Amino acid sequence: MLFEELVISIMKAVNLERTVSSPFHLIKGKKSGQTIQDIGYYRLHPYFAVMPKLDKNAYDEVIQSLFARNLLRPNEQVIDLSEAALGMKIPPSKLNGWKYRGNEILFLNRLSLIVQTLSHTSQSVYSFDPVHNAVDLQAWVKEYLVRIDFRDPGIAGRFKKELHDSLGAANVAEENKMMLMQRLTGLRLSGLTWEQIAAGKGLHTLDVQLEVIETLHAWLEVLESGDFPLFSPLLNGVVQRSSLTESAERTDKLFKQGLSLDEIAAVRQLKTSTIEDHFVELAMNDPAFDYTVFIPQDLFRSITKISAQRNTKRLRDIKEMLPQASYFQIRLALAVKEDIS
Amino acid sequence: MKLEELLFNTYGFTSFRPGQREVISQILEGGDVIALLPTGMGKSMCYQLPAHRLPGSVLIVSPLLSLMQDQVAQLKKMGEKSVVAINSFVKQAEREKIWDNLASYRFIFISPEMLVQPFVKNQLQRIRISLLVADEAHCISQWGFDFRPDYLRIAEILPVLGNPQVLALTATATKKVTDEIMAYLKLKDPYVYTHPMDRKNIAYDIKRFEKPNDKIEWLKSFVQEFEGPGIIYAGTRKKSQEITELLLEMGLRAAYYHGGMEHQDRIFVQQQFQNGELEWVCSTNAFGMGVHIADIRHVIHFQLPTSIEGYVQEVGRAGRDGEPALATLLYASGDEMLMESLVMDELPNRHEIEVVAGNSQESKRLVEEGIVRETAYRVISYWLSQMTAEETVARIDMIRQEKIRQIDKMKKLVNLAGCIREYLVGCFDQEVRDKPVNCCVNDGLNYEVFEKKKQKYQKSELDNWQNRLNALLPLG
Repeated sequence: MLFEELVISIMKAVNLERTVSSPFHLIKGKKSGQTIQDIGYYRLHPYFAVMPKLDKNAYDEVIQSLFARNLLRPNEQVIDLSEAALGMKIPPSKLNGWKYRGNEILFLNRLSLIVQTLSHTSQSVYSFDPVHNAVDLQAWVKEYLVRIDFRDPGIAGRFKKELHDSLGAANVAEENKMMLMQRLTGLRLSGLTWEQIAAGKGLHTLDVQLEVIETLHAWLEVLESGDFPLFSPLLNGVVQRSSLTESAERTDKLFKQGLSLDEIAAVRQLKTSTIEDHFVELAMNDPAFDYTVFIPQDLFRSITKISAQRNTKRLRDIKEMLPQASYFQIRLALAVKEDIS
Repeated sequence: MKLEELLFNTYGFTSFRPGQREVISQILEGGDVIALLPTGMGKSMCYQLPAHRLPGSVLIVSPLLSLMQDQVAQLKKMGEKSVVAINSFVKQAEREKIWDNLASYRFIFISPEMLVQPFVKNQLQRIRISLLVADEAHCISQWGFDFRPDYLRIAEILPVLGNPQVLALTATATKKVTDEIMAYLKLKDPYVYTHPMDRKNIAYDIKRFEKPNDKIEWLKSFVQEFEGPGIIYAGTRKKSQEITELLLEMGLRAAYYHGGMEHQDRIFVQQQFQNGELEWVCSTNAFGMGVHIADIRHVIHFQLPTSIEGYVQEVGRAGRDGEPALATLLYASGDEMLMESLVMDELPNRHEIEVVAGNSQESKRLVEEGIVRETAYRVISYWLSQMTAEETVARIDMIRQEKIRQIDKMKKLVNLAGCIREYLVGCFDQEVRDKPVNCCVNDGLNYEVFEKKKQKYQKSELDNWQNRLNALLPLG
C-alpha cells in the first residue's frame, strides 16, 4: 500500500466527519480518546500507529498535493473527498496496526542485529560495528544468540531457512520483501537508506516506509501461525497481549473493583475526561460492556437512532437533537452501538 | 611487565602510536596529564591501557552522547566487556542495575550533566575511581568553540571522588585553553603532551569566488577530475541534500548525512562509506564522529567553518593512512557575513539574560514558550549561578569579543597570501618544521598526486530478496 492510498482509505471512512489532520493522528498512533474511538466507529484498526515517527510536514505535503489534484475539495472544516477520490480503487492491505502498534520495529531491530551477527560469524569475522547501540536490545540479542548456539553453522543455516520460508509465505509483493531485505546489513553489505530505496523504485520515502511496515505485518502473521522455532522468540513483546491501551486497562481494573468514574480519576490523578476516553475504549473493545451505568436505556436508543437516521457520527449534530445527552454519553453510545451491530 | 608487553597482551598491538607511550607511563607513575592528540591518533588508548593496571575504575566524562556511544562501541569491539555508559537516555530500570554493579565496571562513561547530580555523586563516592578522564577537555574553555558550562563542574566532583588522577584529552587546544584546563581542573603540575598539529600529508587549498553559484560549478568539475573518498562539509542540512542530488545526477556515488536523518539511515551511510560503496558524503558538521575511515582523500568545505579549531578538526579526518590528502576551502564573497551572523545569533542576548535573571522560578516556561532559546538558557543559567545579571551581561560580552576574534582568524585565513600550513599551526602556538613539498595553494601545490585514477566501481547486482538474503547469509 502506498502512503497516499493509506491516507485516502482513512479519509473515505471519515469523509465529511473529521478534519484533514485526523488521519495523521491515527497513522502516528496518538492515544487520545478521539483517535481511539474513531478506530472503533470507523473500523480503522489496520491503520493505527503504522508510522509512529511520521513527520507533520511530510504529511502536510501529501495533503497539499491531494488538494492540488482536486482529490480533496476545499473545505475549512472537514475532509471533503471528490468523486475521483471516492472512486479510487485501493488494493487490500496486510496492515494490522492495532495489533502491532509500532512494535514490529522491535522485531526488525532484533532481526537486523541477529542477521548482522550471523553474517559476520558465519564468515569467520568476529568484530564489527553493530547497527544498533541500544544496550537493552543488544543484551536481548546476545542472550538469544547464546541460547540458540549461533556459532553452530547448522543453526545459522536453519535460521536462514526459517527466514526464507516464512518471508516467502508472506502475502505481499516480492519487491516489497526486497525493500525490507535492503534494511538488513551483513559483512561487506551495507543497508540502504529509505531515500536510496525510494530513489531506486521511483517512489516517495513514505511509500517505502509503509511498504516495509506492511511486509512486516504480513510476515509476522505467517510467523505467528506457522512452526518457526528459531523465530518465535523474536515475537516476544511484539504482539499486543490486550487490544486495550495500557492506561485504559488500568482504568478497567479499577472499575471492576467497584470504583466509580470520578473515584478512578481521583485515584489515578487524571482528568475525568481522560477516564471517559478509557470507558469509550472499553466499550469499543468489550462486547459485554454494560453501558447502562452511564446512559439510561431510552437515551441510548435515541442516540443510536439519530445517528443511523441522519447517517452521522458527529457529536455536535447529535447533541443538537438531544440536548439532554452529555457528550460523553453520545460518544459512549456510538462506541457500543458499533460493536453490537 | 614492560608497557609494550602489556599492550600486546591486552590488545594485540605491537607498538604504540606517537604520544601514547609518554602519556600512559606518566599516568602509571601517578601524575595528572594533559594530552593534546589529534583525533584518530588513538586518544582512548591513553586511558584504556592504564585501566588494566590501576586498582579502581576509570571514569570518563564525555560531552556528546553520540561520541559516548561510539567510544563504548569501539571499546567493546576491542574486547572490553566491562564498560558502561551513564547518560539521560539510560532507562530507570537499567540505571538500577548499573548502580548495583557500579564497582565492577572497568570503564564508566558519563555525561557532565549526570555527573553533577547529587544522587549520582553519592553512587560514585561508594566506589574507587582511580582515574578521571575529561574527554574533549577544550569544552571547559569558556572562550572555546564548544563551551559546555557543565564541564566546569568536573572540578566539584574531584574532591568527592577522593581526588583521583586526572587525564585531560583534547584534539584542539591553544596555549590559552591548555592553561584554562589546568586552572579549572586544579591540576597539580601536570605533564603536558602536545602532539604536533601539523599533518604533513594534508595539503591545503582555498578557492575564492565572486558568486555562491560559482562554488557549485567548481565542485562539479572537481568531482569529475578527482576521486574520493571525500567528505564535503556543506554547512546546512538543506545544502548537503542539494549537493548530493547534484552528484547523483552526475552519476557519482554520493549520499548526504545530517542530524535530521533517522538514526538507522545515518548508520547505513556510515557503513556504505566504510565499505567503499560511496565516493562522497555531503554532510553537516554532524559527520565525523564514529567514522573510522583511514583513506579519506578529500575534505571540502563548501561553507566557512565558524572557527579555526573546528576547521582543523574536520580537515584532520582526511589522510589518516598517511597518504596524500587535500583540504579545500571554498569561499565566495559575502560568506564571512553569513558565518558571522550565525555565530553571533548563537550567543545569549541582553534581553534573554535579563528575562532569565528576573524569572528564575519560571525559567523552564521561558524556554518552552520560546522567549529564551534552550542553548542560550544553558549558558545564562550557568553564569547566573556564579555572578549577578549585570556581570553576566559583561561576561557574555567578553565571550562575544572572543568570538569576533575567532571569526577574524577565519577571515584572515580566507584572505591569506602566505603559507596556510604555517598560519593554521600558528593558531595553536606551534611552528611548522620540515615543510612538505606539497604544502598549500600559496606555497606551491601539485594537484597531480590527487588526480583521478579512473577506477570503475563494480556495483553488486542483487535483484531480488532471495539473492540479497544469500549475500547476507552465504550458507548452504
